[in-house]
Amino acid sequence: MTAQSERREVLRVDGLSAGWGPMRVIHDLDLNVYSGERVGLVGLNGHGKSTLFLAIAGLSGWQRGSILLDGHEVGRTRSQGPGRYTHLVVRRGLALMPQGDEIFHGLTVEEHLDSGAFTPRAWKERGERKKRILKIFPPLAALMKTPVGRLSGGERRMVSLGRGLMADASLFLVDEPSLGLAPKIGKSVIAALMAVELGGSAMVIAEQNVGLLQGRVDRIIGMHAGKLKGEASVASPLSSKGLAA
Amino acid sequence: MNWSFVIANAITLACIYGTLAIGISLTWSSLGLINMAYGFIFALSGYGAWLASQHIGPYTPVVMTAGILTGAVGGVFVNALAFIPIHDKPNYQLRGLIATLAISLVGNQVLLWNFGPRAKSLPQLFGAGSVSIFGVVMTADKIGASLSAVVLLTLVLMWMRSSRRGLEIRAMMMNPHAASLVGIGVRQTSFSVMALTGGLAGLASVLLAQTYYVSPFSGITPMVKGLSIALMGGLGSVPGAVIGAVILGINEAFTSTLLGGQYVLITQFLLIILILLIRPRGIAGILDKAREA
Repeated sequence: MTAQSERREVLRVDGLSAGWGPMRVIHDLDLNVYSGERVGLVGLNGHGKSTLFLAIAGLSGWQRGSILLDGHEVGRTRSQGPGRYTHLVVRRGLALMPQGDEIFHGLTVEEHLDSGAFTPRAWKERGERKKRILKIFPPLAALMKTPVGRLSGGERRMVSLGRGLMADASLFLVDEPSLGLAPKIGKSVIAALMAVELGGSAMVIAEQNVGLLQGRVDRIIGMHAGKLKGEASVASPLSSKGLAA
Repeated sequence: MNWSFVIANAITLACIYGTLAIGISLTWSSLGLINMAYGFIFALSGYGAWLASQHIGPYTPVVMTAGILTGAVGGVFVNALAFIPIHDKPNYQLRGLIATLAISLVGNQVLLWNFGPRAKSLPQLFGAGSVSIFGVVMTADKIGASLSAVVLLTLVLMWMRSSRRGLEIRAMMMNPHAASLVGIGVRQTSFSVMALTGGLAGLASVLLAQTYYVSPFSGITPMVKGLSIALMGGLGSVPGAVIGAVILGINEAFTSTLLGGQYVLITQFLLIILILLIRPRGIAGILDKAREA
């Protein structure tokens, strides 16, 4: 088998619209992500990157359109009830590391990582996976028994990303991993994400700061006003005008 | 004045109210539901225990198990009726409050209709002896009530610390949004939470029925007390609820001895208002060193 034929479609979004109440944030969006690739999603604040991620997880206010995750339809036409099916989507193989970390502030770092491994297979392998996470984020090793509420912002980000990486996911969605962190720490977090072995899974990283992703991901997609706009791969680097908002 | 009597009463009441407060606190923090039907579940499990003692036999394990199981079933029932249909709809918290209040009103009337207004008494579960500990005379029913509440609560809390389901519930208590993001189903977990808290109400009901009686409206006052302890302790905090229960147990025992039973609710709410004026987040606000979100 060639590498080309192994390129499985991990995510296929067709005609997705989503929003909050009367506001429509995502307009008829199509997106394909293939296994083994790292995709950067860049765009300004308020142009729908987070809403796109939340819609894939079933957490937007309302949505319609088809979302195939690993060949299974997880998109629904929904007018209310955000989060109702999220756990089912997650069990199908989605790991969303949300903006603002969404941590459980009273649980310890270790319990956090355990909570990330909630699918049966991940739960069985959780000891091994925790070791792998500690290799990616070494500072966490000394903090395993500390409640996450006492950690610094950078440490919390590591916990939040680590929790996502514990899962048995075929698609990792990372929302603004460098947001709110000192530039140096932000860079090291991105570097850690680049070090994750994807295997058959794929990763989409949303960022406002194109510079952090350029040259490190397989392709970069721009997002503007709820639509995808302009795409650049490593082979054909991006022109600055394709992404200018 | 008999100090040892006051202390013994304070301990027993603290254990029983603490159980209720922890139940209410858990429900609120994990499901966002103020369960106004908690008093109904309490009364229902009293009747469950009473029926078991009449039809199976007045044995301690039978009566306690029947009370706890009836409470768990009641909790599941309230969950199916008041949480599942509306939990992801707008204005859920207010609607949930009203729905559980409705269940409580209808349920209490059904109990009245079915069992009549006459109070039933449960058999003595812990014998009639008494022991003196450090000069404090504890009767067997008070020791039994305190010990079984402490032991069962400890078991529940240990289960919540160590098991996977417990981690699920704690995660949901701290951040329901993030819980769904790691694959925890709110609906499935809600059934375990409500069965657990219902079971706690059942336990408290059987224990309190050692001093009081089982009647259709016997759950209202304990629920108000449990709710106020939970508020005082800081909703969602188990240690807060325990300390709150101890404070209110002492207050209740002292007030009823020094001033008379009719003043208990007055001093109790004055105390709660005082504590919430000083620490708006309740006792948990003093205990908790972690930063909020």
